[in-house]
Parts: sequence; structure tokens; C-alpha cells
Amino acid sequence: MNLLSIGANHRTAPIDIRERLYFSEKELERAYEVLLNKYGFKEAVIVSTCNRTEIYTVTNPFTMRYGDLLNFIKEQKNASDFVKPEYFYRQFASGAANHLFSVASGIDSMIVGDIQILAQIKDAYYYAEQKKTTGFLMNRVFNTAFRVGKRARNETEIGEGAVSISYAAVELASKIFADLSKKRALLIGAGETGELTAKHLKNKGIGELRITNRTRQRSQELADRIGGRVVEFENFIGELKQCDIVISSISSDEHILKAPMLQGIMKQRGSEPLFIIDIGVPRNIDPACNKYESVFLHDIDSLKHIIDRNLEKRKAEIPIIEKIIREELVELFKWYNSLKLNPTISDLRQMFEFIRQAEVEKHINRFNKDDRELLDLVTKRIVNKLLHTPMTTLRTSNGDPQEDTLSHISTIRKLFGLERKD
Amino acid sequence: MNTTVDVLNILLPLLYGGLLFLYGRSFFKTASRADRLKTAALAVTVIIHLIYLLLRTILFNHPPITTPFEIMTVIAFCIAAAYLFIEGISKVHGTGLFVLIPAFFFQIISTLLISDLGEVPEILRSNLLGFHVTSALLGYAAIAVGAMYGLLYLMLYHDIKSNHFSVIYKRLPNLEILESMSFRSTLFGFICLSIAIGVGLLWLPIAFGEIFYSDPKLIGSLFIWILYAVGLVSKRVAGWHGRKIAVLHVSAFIIAIFSITIVNFFFRSFHQFY
Repeated sequence: MNLLSIGANHRTAPIDIRERLYFSEKELERAYEVLLNKYGFKEAVIVSTCNRTEIYTVTNPFTMRYGDLLNFIKEQKNASDFVKPEYFYRQFASGAANHLFSVASGIDSMIVGDIQILAQIKDAYYYAEQKKTTGFLMNRVFNTAFRVGKRARNETEIGEGAVSISYAAVELASKIFADLSKKRALLIGAGETGELTAKHLKNKGIGELRITNRTRQRSQELADRIGGRVVEFENFIGELKQCDIVISSISSDEHILKAPMLQGIMKQRGSEPLFIIDIGVPRNIDPACNKYESVFLHDIDSLKHIIDRNLEKRKAEIPIIEKIIREELVELFKWYNSLKLNPTISDLRQMFEFIRQAEVEKHINRFNKDDRELLDLVTKRIVNKLLHTPMTTLRTSNGDPQEDTLSHISTIRKLFGLERKD
Repeated sequence: MNTTVDVLNILLPLLYGGLLFLYGRSFFKTASRADRLKTAALAVTVIIHLIYLLLRTILFNHPPITTPFEIMTVIAFCIAAAYLFIEGISKVHGTGLFVLIPAFFFQIISTLLISDLGEVPEILRSNLLGFHVTSALLGYAAIAVGAMYGLLYLMLYHDIKSNHFSVIYKRLPNLEILESMSFRSTLFGFICLSIAIGVGLLWLPIAFGEIFYSDPKLIGSLFIWILYAVGLVSKRVAGWHGRKIAVLHVSAFIIAIFSITIVNFFFRSFHQFY
């Protein structure tokens, strides 16, 4: 298989290099033109995200052109001065396919099980397809990669569990409350993690979001950005009577909520649960607040604990995914190896001959004994004539299949059901 | 028919054991084949159990309520059927392992010790008594399921409160759903027990003429009923929620089982017909 790939990711290159290697959509348009017209690659897909830039191409096995691909990157990204060869990994044939499948399944991501990478690969492939830089081999390889990604998510727990502070907080809220659309949340502070958590709650359909901050203007800006109602910071204790979820990420040297302050509120709330997420450092909420039966107080450490456990579980799924990748690689290469000329010609002949013989046997008694030999002869001639043109077209490659011939073989095997024989 | 009943009697604990295996595997490992098979396996088990109870009723010419071990198999059936119903309406599939454990043990004990009562007293053939016993068994099965959900609530509550995010945290539905399932099961159980007590009180003078209101089992049953009535009223009037109500469901069930055991073993009662 003439698949060649080169790339740099979070394991091989530092972030400033990865940033400089990133291809924007505008840059991609020109990059594909150069790859095809100047460097002469027939098929190519460029996958470029914040953590990796990879190029997959189909090339001649006798002239593997890693140097061309490296030069292409240097040229496109004006990177001659900072790109070092050791930043890049190079793969060929099964190595390249194996790497692509690992990326699609999420096991090669910086955060194992990252769910976005599969969508990013799909986007990259569809863009290349639109630019007509993908052929039958690249199509098959990438479609297999999508299947690997799908199987990894359906058959394992690689994407399960939150792996960011904001998601862990929302996951925890979903373990306490059945229906977030009937709940109110209060965001205290306008920090980045607090804002992200509030956004995730919004996406999960939280009933109402109230926002407060020492500076009202910042609360208002945040409320305009993500939607919500601003409440005065001085009154936030009173808001706790009505809110079910509190996210606190304010910068404060002392606790803004102490246990005695919560006592009266909890009496008024009865047994209604109050979930408090304290993501401030130093902590905003007095840890003693957790003593109340209906208060669930979690700080950044407990959320990190959830993330660590989830990451451990995701890593434990890697061997199962590697098995899925091996299975798909075997299928891919079985298909690829079936694209050989002589076995295809032989299979096609056998199939036609089988049909001819079956039909002759079925109707032979309707012919006189003298005509039976003639029937055999005539049907053989019909079959030979039907097969003549396809056989001639296939044989023109003279045993050294080019991409077009491989494509013809693939189509014939598919149309006549010869793939099932594999 | 005798052989079929015997075979089913041996088969049932194996089926319940298989169910525990499937629900256990699905609880500890998602995306497994057990995930897809477990509900169908539960439905098949419930149907086979129902056939067993019907065949037994036809073979011995009385409903299977004449000995404690017949009652145990009926309780196992009620728990499994109630859980199948709950799983169907709630679409919550993660709690079967826990709810089916008591059904499994009830069935094992029943299978090992069940035998037919040679002479069935005429009193046990009354329709009113059949209704009374069926309601009582359904009631006890439902409060057992309610207590089990209460226990699951407490386990998850403890996990969340103490930052101990175990497999319980990962697999169980959220606290509000567990609380609601516990409450609904208990409420259903309470209604069944109320019917059982009502019908029992109606049937007593008809069956015995002389009424034993001081009978220990009668007092025990009324005590359990009052306990649940107080719990349900507190939820409504005092607005009790969450952990308090879960503790109440679990402790009420323990007290109920304890009082039934005490009454059965240490007091003589007109309730003993075998």
C-alpha cells in the first residue's frame, strides 16, 4: 500500500512549533494546490489541529518522498529556520494506516479519548474530498479510520467521564439532579473556569443562570455573552435560598461563605439539595459548609480527583482499542491484497462459468441430444464475448497495477460480489 | 406435570443466578453483550416463573401460599416482575443487580426447602384470603424494592459527599431518580399493605367468628403499616427529602422484616396454618 504520512504532534514538537505548523482554512486551499501541482502527489489529506499537523499522501513505493513532504511544510509555513527533522514522525503503508486509526480512536490524543479529534479528521477528509485530492485508496483508508473511531466510542469507554474541571462539575451536578431545566444556578465571579462551567450548564439546559461579581460591569459582560441575569454581589447569600447550584470562582483571600451564614439558608431550604462548586484558589467557601446534610460542597481538588479517575479508566481501554485497530488493519489489507489482477480475472471467469453451467444444466433436457453440445458451445462463446472487453481493460496494466487499474479491480470485485469470496 | 414443576423449581435459581451475572457484568462493564441481553433475560425469567407458579397451583389444587417456602418463591417473582415494570417505565437500567439479589436468595431457599402441604386446610381455599395474601406479598415485595433503592441512594449520597467516586458513582442514576424510585415503590407497597390489612380484617370474622385483635401478627402488621404511614405523611407535611427519607425507607424495611421474624418464631399466632 503506497500510503505515506508525515506529521508532528504534542509528543514530538513543543507547543510553539505546533502553533506555527498549524494550517488555517485559507492556507489549506493553497497547500493542496502546491501538493498536487508542484509536488505531483495524486492523493493527499492534511489534518491540522492545535495539537497536530499531519499529511497523508499516496505515493510510489520506490520513491518514498518524506523529503518532499518536509520541504513542502517548510515552504508553506516559512519554517526553514525553526523546523527540525526530529519534530516529525514518518510512516509508510500499514504504519501510516495504524497511526491514522490511533488518532481517529482518540488514543493518540493529548487527553486520551478526546472526542473532538474524530470530527476534526472528518472535516479534514471532507475538505480534501471537496478539493478532489482523495482517490479510492485514501477513501477506503479514511472510511476505515472513521469506523475505528466509531467502534472505539461504541465498544469501549474511551470517551466516558469528564476530563476537564468544568465538565467534571457538570457531571457531578447530573449525579445529584435529575432535570437541570428545573434548577437555578448562581455563578459567583467571572473567572475563565467558572464561565466554562456556566456555559456547560447552559448547554445541559439549566433552567436559570444568575451571575454575580464584585464588579457589576464584568457580571453584565458575562451575562451578555452567555445569557443570564445579573444579581448584586452584596445580596448573593439571599440568592442561595432559591438556587440549587452555586459555582464560585472569585479571587478572595478569605471565605466568602462561612458555615454559620449557611445555617439559616439551609433551614429555609428544608431538605432541598444545594450543590456548591468551589473552583477558587484560595478556596472561596468554608469547607465546614459540607457538614449540612443537603449541601454537596466540592472544591477543585475533588473535581481533579474525578478527572484523574476518568483518565485512568480511559487509559485502561487502550488495549481493547488496539485490538479493534488490528482487526480493521487486517480487513483493510485483505481488501488491498485482493486488488490483484490475476486472481480477479480468475474469480470473474469462475463466476461467469458457474452461472453458465448452472443455466445449461437447468434447461438441458429441453434440447435434443444433438443440440446439447451446440448449447454448451454457444453459451461459452456468449460468456467469452461478454468478458472480453473488461478483461482487456484490466490486462492493459500488464501486471503492474496503477491507481486506475486498482480502482477498476476494486469496482469489479464490488459489482460482481467477488469481495464476499475473500 | 410433576416432573415439569420439579425441573422448573431447579431451573429458577439458575435463571436468577444468570440474571445476577448479566446485570453484574453490565453494571461493572458497559458496552458489553450483557447490556443488550439482560432485560430480555429478565422478561424470560419472569414468564418462566409465572408458568411455574401456575403449574404448581394446578398440580396441587391451591395457590402457592400455604407454606413459607411457597410464599418465598412468590415474593421472588413479585420482586422480579416489579423490577421489570420499573425498568420498563423509568428506562433506568443500572440498578437491577441490587434489586434482584433478594429475589435470587428467596428463590434459592424456596427451591431447596419447598414441599407441598399434604392436607390444605379449608380456610386456605378462601378467595378473600387469596386476595389478602396476594396484596400482602406484593406490598412486601414493593417495600423491599423501595428499601433497596433507598440503600442505593445512601451509597451514592455517601460517594458524592465524601469525594469517593467509585463504580457506584459511575453507574447509578442520579440521587433524585433514586429517591423518586424508592418513594414510588414504597408508596405502592404501602397501598398494597393497606389493602391486605383491610381485606384481612374483613375476612377475620367470616373465617373465625371469634376475632383475635390481640394477635401478635396482626399487631406487628399494624405497627409496620403505621411506621410507613408516618414516613409518608412526614414527606408530605414536613417536606422531608433525600437522605432522611432514604434512611426512613431502609430502616422501616429492616424493622418490618425484624418484626415479622420475631412474631413468626417467638409467638403463637392464628396466622399459622401449616
